[in-house]
Amino acid sequence: MALIARRLAGHLARGFVMILVVATISFFIINNIPGDPMAARYEKLVEQGMSPEAAAQAVKVLYGFLPDGTLWQQYTDYMTGLLHLDLGMSVSRPGTPVLDVLTDAAKWTVLPVLVGTLLSFLVGIVLGVYAAIKRTGKLGDALAISGSLLHGIPQYVLAMLLVVIFATLIPILPADGTVDILFEPGFNAGYLGSLAEHAVLPVVTYALSAYGGWILAMKSSVVTVLGDDFILAAELRGMKRSIVFRYIARNAILPLFTMLALSLGLLLGGAVFIEKIFNYPGLGWLLISGVQDRDYGLMGGAFLLITVGTIIANIVADLFYTVIDPRVRSGEEGS
Amino acid sequence: MSATLIPEAAPAASAMRRNFWNGVWRVMKRKPSRMAGVVIIAGFIVMAVIGPILLPEHLPGNASAITQPPSWDHWFGTDPQGRDVTSLVIKGSRYVLLTALVTAIITVVAGTAIGLFSGFKRGRWDTVLMRLTDMKLTIPGLPLLLVLATVWKFGNPLQMGLVLGLLGWGGVARAVRSQTLSLRERGFIEAARGLGLSTTHIIGRELLPSMAPYIAMNMLIAVTGAVYSQVGLFFLGVLPYESDNWGVMLNLAVFQAGAMITPNALGYLLAPLLAILLLTLGIVLVVDAMDEIFNPRLREE
Repeated sequence: MALIARRLAGHLARGFVMILVVATISFFIINNIPGDPMAARYEKLVEQGMSPEAAAQAVKVLYGFLPDGTLWQQYTDYMTGLLHLDLGMSVSRPGTPVLDVLTDAAKWTVLPVLVGTLLSFLVGIVLGVYAAIKRTGKLGDALAISGSLLHGIPQYVLAMLLVVIFATLIPILPADGTVDILFEPGFNAGYLGSLAEHAVLPVVTYALSAYGGWILAMKSSVVTVLGDDFILAAELRGMKRSIVFRYIARNAILPLFTMLALSLGLLLGGAVFIEKIFNYPGLGWLLISGVQDRDYGLMGGAFLLITVGTIIANIVADLFYTVIDPRVRSGEEGS
Repeated sequence: MSATLIPEAAPAASAMRRNFWNGVWRVMKRKPSRMAGVVIIAGFIVMAVIGPILLPEHLPGNASAITQPPSWDHWFGTDPQGRDVTSLVIKGSRYVLLTALVTAIITVVAGTAIGLFSGFKRGRWDTVLMRLTDMKLTIPGLPLLLVLATVWKFGNPLQMGLVLGLLGWGGVARAVRSQTLSLRERGFIEAARGLGLSTTHIIGRELLPSMAPYIAMNMLIAVTGAVYSQVGLFFLGVLPYESDNWGVMLNLAVFQAGAMITPNALGYLLAPLLAILLLTLGIVLVVDAMDEIFNPRLREE
């Protein structure tokens, strides 16, 4: 337990530094956008008859810092705002704080990403074991090739192909938005059914784009374990196949849990493409619309939140790994 | 002593090089799929170098034939301005490949240098560099590129390649470092050190050649990654539309011509998609040969 606590402390410290770095990056980008949108807004407000002080305050509400302060002052203003979870106000959605827009959108990213990841993890692992055991046969070959192919195709190509096939050529699934507007929002079958129906293609895209990685990794992991002495020993002692199988699976699956973190991070980043193509209003979608609508507070906030999500996923996966692997748990010093 | 060595070393080195290329050729010949990969990549390179020279700078549009389905005149149909889609793909290939090349060079040079330095020196610098690498690997690359796109317009493929390269060396640095750490404990490195050979010699002549397959493989992965991210960035529509890039075509096909709804524009969407898939396929087929080229034990029959 002490080890886990120490690891957690280390992770949290590193995560904090990372967030600081990313926040600094987004501050400098917002501060250096060509055309100086802040100054333009400030001048427009002054022209509309606002006093310079009030106009400066109004700009600060939007961007998180005063338009005419020194760089250091602007930076500390921005960071203090972040510490108070104040990400400014959205420009493209007047009167709404960026934080509200983001928390609203987060569910459309987090749920499909999680479901897609778990789905691809389970399917990829089961088929990966199969591909390893049957690696000399035709079926094993076919599974490995399917893995390499899906691993190689970029997410947006996959998403577009799925839309063309399942929404245009054979129109059986919706590929636009999160729910049919015809249904009354609430806890009724029509609404929930429509939600589920709209989620199918995005979730399948997430799952397919991650599946290739899982099946390939699981296959090579199982092949490595199969060569280990303890498997041979177990077989020689005449243990039941099912027990030997459990030995193999338990040992082979361990390294894959570290990959889980990377995969979650990758999928969160990939949400940009999938949400754009399926018009699914999650964090990635907000990030793009922030860039396109010149809503820089929203852009910075979405970027920060996606990064924080990736960092948290990394920490959780590493701790999870510590808990399930007895060798790491009892080891005096983890790497 | 060294004076007599130098004239001998030069022909030996050139003979080694000739042997190497002979080996490459033998390995490539062994499987037809590898030759196919080489042919595909060579085809794309020819297309990128010669294609834009043969085509006019501004492709002629035909207002009476906009968004046509594929036909004999236009193999993949025409775009909403009546331009030939095939020519657009050919023109776009230069930006795509040039960016990929620049990215690959920067990724490999920076990644290898940092990984080697880190793994060879170890100690404090190693810790600092690897923490930095971890950070780079944790920040999701695509969202960062999107945010950068507000400041940078990437009008020029070299700029795009530079940014992608600077963002992308983390993976290579990790791989090279772990290779260096395990190789430096092996007998031949210790023997070289025992002979009093210089660090430059040990790194240049002993370490790097043994890591060559990893580096070559990582370079090809970097090329595919660069193709995907730049086309993706243009596809998302956050960069100017004037550039000749497959991503611009994808964006216009999906969000302007409605290629995912109207079958007429399907060719406009499929042409750049096929180009991406074909290029990836070529690279994947060649990667398969890398291990055999650089691993002498696999090369001997």
